[in-house]
Amino acid sequence: MSLAIRTEHLTKIYGGKVIAVNDMSLQVPAGSIYGLLGPNGAGKTTTLRLLLGLQTPTAGKAEVFGHACGVNATGVRGMIGFLPTHPTLPGHLRPVEYLELLGKVCRLPAEVRKPRLTSLLRAVGLLDATDQRIDTFSTGMRTRLGIAASLMADPPLLLWDEPTAGLDPAARRFTLDLIRDLGKTRTILVATHILSDIDQICDHVGVMYEGRMIFSGPMREMKRRLQRDEYILEVEGPPETLSAAAQRADQLPDVTARAADQHTLVVQVAEGASRAAALAKVLELVDVGGLTLHSVQSARNDTEHAYLQLLQEDQAHGFRRFEYEKRHGADAGPGDSAS
Amino acid sequence: MPALAILRHELGSLWSGWLVRLWLIAAGLLALLTLASAWGQLQTAILTGSLLFPFLVFPWFLIVMLLGISPVTGSRLDALADGILSRPITRYEYLLASWAARVVTVLAVFFLVITPCVLLATFAKRPAVAADSVTWYGMLCAATLVSLVLTFLVSLGFLAGTLLRRPLVAAVVLFFVWYPANFVLDTLQLEEFSPITLNRALPTLLRTPWKAPDDQADRKLSSTDAAALQRQWDQVMTVFGGGQPEPPRRDSGDFFQRGNYEDFSFWKVFLGYSIPTLAAVAVATWCFCRRDL
Repeated sequence: MSLAIRTEHLTKIYGGKVIAVNDMSLQVPAGSIYGLLGPNGAGKTTTLRLLLGLQTPTAGKAEVFGHACGVNATGVRGMIGFLPTHPTLPGHLRPVEYLELLGKVCRLPAEVRKPRLTSLLRAVGLLDATDQRIDTFSTGMRTRLGIAASLMADPPLLLWDEPTAGLDPAARRFTLDLIRDLGKTRTILVATHILSDIDQICDHVGVMYEGRMIFSGPMREMKRRLQRDEYILEVEGPPETLSAAAQRADQLPDVTARAADQHTLVVQVAEGASRAAALAKVLELVDVGGLTLHSVQSARNDTEHAYLQLLQEDQAHGFRRFEYEKRHGADAGPGDSAS
Repeated sequence: MPALAILRHELGSLWSGWLVRLWLIAAGLLALLTLASAWGQLQTAILTGSLLFPFLVFPWFLIVMLLGISPVTGSRLDALADGILSRPITRYEYLLASWAARVVTVLAVFFLVITPCVLLATFAKRPAVAADSVTWYGMLCAATLVSLVLTFLVSLGFLAGTLLRRPLVAAVVLFFVWYPANFVLDTLQLEEFSPITLNRALPTLLRTPWKAPDDQADRKLSSTDAAALQRQWDQVMTVFGGGQPEPPRRDSGDFFQRGNYEDFSFWKVFLGYSIPTLAAVAVATWCFCRRDL
């Protein structure tokens, strides 16, 4: 598997006091759409800035397509299209002037630069705003211009930091669709704390927490990690009928059931048991009891649950991991599959 | 190509900003006012020195330093990191291009304002004023040295802005450190380091001929030194003989009449400003390249 990004024991400590990135080893497969997930302050943005050479690591190393990252690694930056959160752009310029400047900085000849900036402005829907100064742009327009700027050099790797932050639903949809399209031809790393974005577009995911990578791998593997085989049935009917159905379902083999509220029945299937068979029996009870079924949701596939569980595990295993790594010198601790 | 693109971009930004435009207008008006008020009174060399006074002493040195401060300070730094330095350009390419744009801007304003005024003062007929022996060589040397001082001031602002990060703090520190230091250097009559002293020495430099200066300077220097030595010896003997030493001589009140600059050395002054300029740019670049953005 060729890697677009590889970091080894990457560490960033600010002023000897604040640990922003903590011994992080990350591998992003080439051609993947990789979601870098984590709460605010987890170290996602710092990681991106270390890859870009805007910051120097305290320890460890980072590579992009096999080339070492660093302050003077212009070759690496030439392969990266960076979109910062709420991009701060030179306000006195107009979109064409800004993209023209970036094209020159990226050493693009005029015959490539001019048509590309025009097509990018059209692609991000800013053709009508070419005569406006950037400081008059809304957040969505700035993000779209930032997207165009990140694509100006046609790089094989895109690092987008919270690309949907502050966008209205239409702009958010546009951005997610664009990521999906661009992901067909290049590697994309999207740093975000919005789980639904990751759920929709990413095939690989890494979860950062307090500067550490606590999980890294394919999306489906992360979802598989959720221990609860749980289903949520949304039903309608008298509350006493729902309670009775829950009691009867709870007596079924390999099934634990409870009424969460007046309209929700939560069913948990024991590990190893046939989920289809258990669920069929529960649904039969619902039908016999005269309840109207509105929806069945699998909590098992809920990224949010998986994510929260990972964070809880990490909090619980903090010291165990330290001891484990001291003994084995390994990248991954017990109970996580970070690689 | 990236450095050239940044240079053009910075030049465009500077000239579209209000600071440079207002400065150009104000400097032009002040120069015209100086020229008009001294038209029938001052000889060409002293008039030229007066025209250069705002650039070397007060108030334009502040603008020059402020222009130097701005490239990598305050909120500009965020836009710079997000918009430019995350692209395939090195930091020193950006910094040097940005510094060069500021130097070019400052020198452009300086020459735009000063050149027509100096040419007018030199070639226009002014019957009320005695003829002056200003030479082309002197004018060229003076233009070079004043340009160098302005470059030095930009670089000093550049260094302060890079080290202190906040433009206001950098401006205040520069004003309260550089200006008193300049006065101290002036009392020592070190034209190599003090723009105030250099401004006083300019009339002498403007009158320096191209070929003769070396011989004449040597002669003048030795006679001046001999006279000074004799005066000092007399003083010592008077004190040993129980007499009172002579009171120190007082300079005349006129700014350009104070001091004797016949031993003025172009190369000494040139090195006096160019070495600190290079050092300031090198230190600023080194610091910026090591900084986390």
